[in-house]
Amino acid sequence: MTTLPKSLPLETPRLAPIRRSPLPRILLWLAVMVVTLWVLYPFAWAVITSFKTQRQALEPTFVPFLQFQPSLENWGAELGLGGRETAFALGNSIMISVGATLLATLLGTLTGYALARFRYGIGNRNIVSWVMSQRFLPPVATLIPFFLFMQRLKLIDTVPGMILVNTTFTLPFAILIMRDFFADFPEEIEEAALVDGASPLQIFLRVALPLATPALTAAAIICFAFAWNEYLFASVMAPKDAKPYTFLVASTSTVRGVHFGYLATRMLIAITLPVVLSLFVQRYIVRGLTLGAVKG
Amino acid sequence: MNRRLFTFVLVLSALFTLLSLTTVLAQDQTFMGKTAEELFPEVANDQERSSAMEALLAANLPDATGRFAGQTLTVSVQQAGARGGISGPYYFWRPAFEAATGATLEIVEIPQAQYFTTTSTDFLTGQNSYDVMNIGAWFLSDYVVNGWIQPVEQFFDQEGFPEWDRDAVFPSLANLMKWEDQWYGVLNDGDAQMLYYRKDILTDPKWQEEFQAETGMEMPVPPKTWQELLAVTRFFNGKDWNGDGDPDDGISLHLRTGGQGMFHFMSLSAPFAITPAEGDDPGKVTKYDNVYWFDPDDLTPLINQPGHVAALEFLKELAATGSEAQFGWELGEAWNNFLNGNAIATFSWGDVGSLAQDPSRSIIQGKLGGARIPCSERWYDRETGEFVEDSENPNCVGNTTGGSWFPVMSAFTDTPELAYYFMAMHAAKPINFWNVVYGWTGVDPGATYTLFPPMGTATVEDYVNAGYNADDAQEYITGYGENFFSHPIYQTYLRIPGTVTFWEILDTRLGQAMIGESTPQEALDLVAQEWENTNNDLGREEQLQIYQTGIGYTPGG
Amino acid sequence: MYKKTRARYFFLMPGIIWILAFTIFPLIYSLYLSFTNANMRNFNRGWDVIGLENYASIPSDLRVGETVVTSVYLTLGSTAVTLVLGTFVAWLFNHNLPGLRIFRGILTMPLFAAPIALGFMGLILFNETSGSINSFIRGLGGQGVRWMTDSWSARTAVLLLDAWQWTPFVFIIVLAAMQSIPDELYEAARLDTASGWPIFRHITFPLIAPALGTVALLRLVETFKILDIPLSMLGGGPGSATQTYSYYVYITGLRSFNMGYASSLAYILVIIAIIISSIYFWRIRARFE
Repeated sequence: MTTLPKSLPLETPRLAPIRRSPLPRILLWLAVMVVTLWVLYPFAWAVITSFKTQRQALEPTFVPFLQFQPSLENWGAELGLGGRETAFALGNSIMISVGATLLATLLGTLTGYALARFRYGIGNRNIVSWVMSQRFLPPVATLIPFFLFMQRLKLIDTVPGMILVNTTFTLPFAILIMRDFFADFPEEIEEAALVDGASPLQIFLRVALPLATPALTAAAIICFAFAWNEYLFASVMAPKDAKPYTFLVASTSTVRGVHFGYLATRMLIAITLPVVLSLFVQRYIVRGLTLGAVKG
Repeated sequence: MNRRLFTFVLVLSALFTLLSLTTVLAQDQTFMGKTAEELFPEVANDQERSSAMEALLAANLPDATGRFAGQTLTVSVQQAGARGGISGPYYFWRPAFEAATGATLEIVEIPQAQYFTTTSTDFLTGQNSYDVMNIGAWFLSDYVVNGWIQPVEQFFDQEGFPEWDRDAVFPSLANLMKWEDQWYGVLNDGDAQMLYYRKDILTDPKWQEEFQAETGMEMPVPPKTWQELLAVTRFFNGKDWNGDGDPDDGISLHLRTGGQGMFHFMSLSAPFAITPAEGDDPGKVTKYDNVYWFDPDDLTPLINQPGHVAALEFLKELAATGSEAQFGWELGEAWNNFLNGNAIATFSWGDVGSLAQDPSRSIIQGKLGGARIPCSERWYDRETGEFVEDSENPNCVGNTTGGSWFPVMSAFTDTPELAYYFMAMHAAKPINFWNVVYGWTGVDPGATYTLFPPMGTATVEDYVNAGYNADDAQEYITGYGENFFSHPIYQTYLRIPGTVTFWEILDTRLGQAMIGESTPQEALDLVAQEWENTNNDLGREEQLQIYQTGIGYTPGG
Repeated sequence: MYKKTRARYFFLMPGIIWILAFTIFPLIYSLYLSFTNANMRNFNRGWDVIGLENYASIPSDLRVGETVVTSVYLTLGSTAVTLVLGTFVAWLFNHNLPGLRIFRGILTMPLFAAPIALGFMGLILFNETSGSINSFIRGLGGQGVRWMTDSWSARTAVLLLDAWQWTPFVFIIVLAAMQSIPDELYEAARLDTASGWPIFRHITFPLIAPALGTVALLRLVETFKILDIPLSMLGGGPGSATQTYSYYVYITGLRSFNMGYASSLAYILVIIAIIISSIYFWRIRARFE
């Protein structure tokens, strides 16, 4: 009973509503609204705070113009005076996240495909378990050894170094998502190609890969979000040349206390890109998360 | 041509000519061939730019382009951005530094909470990325003992470096930059906690009368002891003394765990727990006098001694005369409450004095009162094992609580001379003074020339020109100076390896006591126990030796 | 038949080698460190191997007990909250209401908020004097909650933030599971004129239970690692109230630089992780081959 459908037709739920009276429907909508508000509320509060000066930020006021005079000070500082640094850190974040995403999905697709299609002496299940266990390890445990290791490779405070770190952390997720996708994927099509004399690589590239686009997208967006949000390793390994944007978010807590307006501004900037991406590839995320967690 | 258009063009060209003329006039002074606009591209107003240019020229920086051209200097600093506290001035003076040396200055900003972790990891793993690090005074012991930084005295009084006045540095502050009588740090910021209060309210006859009626004592302006301060904050707490219709607060403190709350405890507990030495030199360190942290003979923690415990009990009483939320406040929130006119008093760093002048942060400009940190009418004498009470001659102990953020030089730098040039430039009198006067820099007074006579040579006008209210400047700067010069003795700073750990432990347990999760005695007993463990882990013998050296104690002496 | 081809290693190895290369060394090295007295002072001067001493001193470390309490509360609490809320929201979205799609998109947004930023966001939201949550409570006539100055309230604030972020994760998975339930089952039930709750209780719930179990385990493990939110929101305070076990490992290893001891603390976590993952695989073993 736990097998999920191969595609999740979320647009057409199968369960018809109970239509005896209009009341449940109103209640349902009300509940949906409440849930939506619960989700949006922190974002809304951050938006309001980002238009407040430090003095106003510490007053419980909600409505601009009526309750407080909105100020562009924070946005101005972030995009104007500090614009260069913002752009630099965002650039790093994008390079690191995109790099890690590409690498992790590339390697994850190959390995995931392998685990779904071939048999290995050591036991496929054991390999999958081992890959999965990587997600359970607390990253703090390995920070210093990791640092020493990266130092040997002369990759401290470089974008390639941070790509490598983030690839390592996101790869297990990519492998699991892709493995599940290929496991559900009918083998018959590939076997037909095999009969035509194609090599395994040709089959993979020409038959399997094109059909895997949805899962690939899902894996990619999840890896991207993980890499984009990483702070702990970056704060120690990339304070200078490869500084990502999460670093700037953390730095709103200064020797003179937390600057709330900046904080809200930077938080919104940090959240915007992955959230916008997530809205664009909505359907694939649902697939990806489902595959990755329920099945593997 | 249309006549109107002609007039318009005429006026426009006249304006343009006038504008270029003023620009030319303003550009009459250059430094290393650069104009003020080029050297200080990002300023709040013209006054800031012209005064900075003046300071730069007065600093008389030697031309060092011959020696340093093409080199790069990497400096790490607590992150607050190009116009933020402590990191701001490094950006502000960067073009001038680069013009004077021909070198490139790379500023690496690291979030404050992460700073010790990031820089230490860098050293531990032999990465050695930074030439100069701006550090808090409590990092110094670890940095020195691990051999990560080097003394800078070899460069003193050498030709070709900016001059700065070492003798002008407040003595207690200079001690923090030295290790075994050698200078490692160079002047930048000077931290100590002083008392701020609302002068307008405390001197208001109406309130004075009411105060006397209610408490039977005369309103102390300024409060000179903690006990007087408590009477004042207790009186005002819950009364609507600012006229906004709501009850207002007495004291405003930053007591959040991780919000530098333990610094409040340090400043407040000093006169409860430290006794001066008998004889000619009250500052002499003996087994019982002028020690605060550990017993100088065997490193037994003193933090759970009756004096310290009484101080913590007192801090709780004092905190009860303010908002309950202050146990969750960090710096910004506590300052804001005072600057917003909701609290009658606070004790904190010099920043409050300068922030009070910033209209976007404060509504109390012109109403500020400042005084040195209060004394205590009750303190514990460890030698006799008894509390002493004396309201006529209270026990006064000054502090250098805080970071006093200053630059130190890496032991592994390839460019020590350039590094020292940078450090000395920021300590050069006109530049340091400029930083102090412009409060946004976060640089607090650390040298006598920033004070008023008789302690120093500054004038109120210097501060007024930078936007201060004259009365506020008088109150704040005088109070700050007295804080550094008028106390008979000063609290020793904790300077042994592991200070970061010791303070983290203290901060955590204080937090528990403040929110009533444990009693002051229980909390400080736990601190003592955990401090013992930490010292044992780090090597007790070596720790003891370093501690004795750090506070200047000779066993048996 | 092609399952035996040599090419299978070409597909498998890049990913496996990558993981091996970058995780084996740090793991073994930390294991080694956990048997030493490595700290900031001796790290470059040579440390001593001290056997199991680090592990032996863990039980008497007060902080361990305190931080484990916090971690367990957060882990169980947040998992429970996300499961209940996530299932409820999934149930809502399993109805055929026009326009729900847009809302589904909005509801996944929290998943992509950086935890470090989220902690700072908590600082604004839960602020006792100016925070909007307390304003809201007061507006409803209640008393402000001491989110930052009371231990359990502070832990709860962290819990709520974590739950806010991860409820969408549960929601998505449970919704998928619900939609895989064949219509026929519902139709049969409806003929019996059963209404909303009994249908959920007797048909939906048993069928989504396996998915819920999996999600619960995943959430348990992920939440036990929580570090960024307490770090940025409350600095572990008030007192040690929001110091989680991971947080303690972090400050021991990377602020006090007591690396030997921190590694032993971390390895305890590794052992717990191995136990939990074993349970995990034991539970879903059937689905793997």
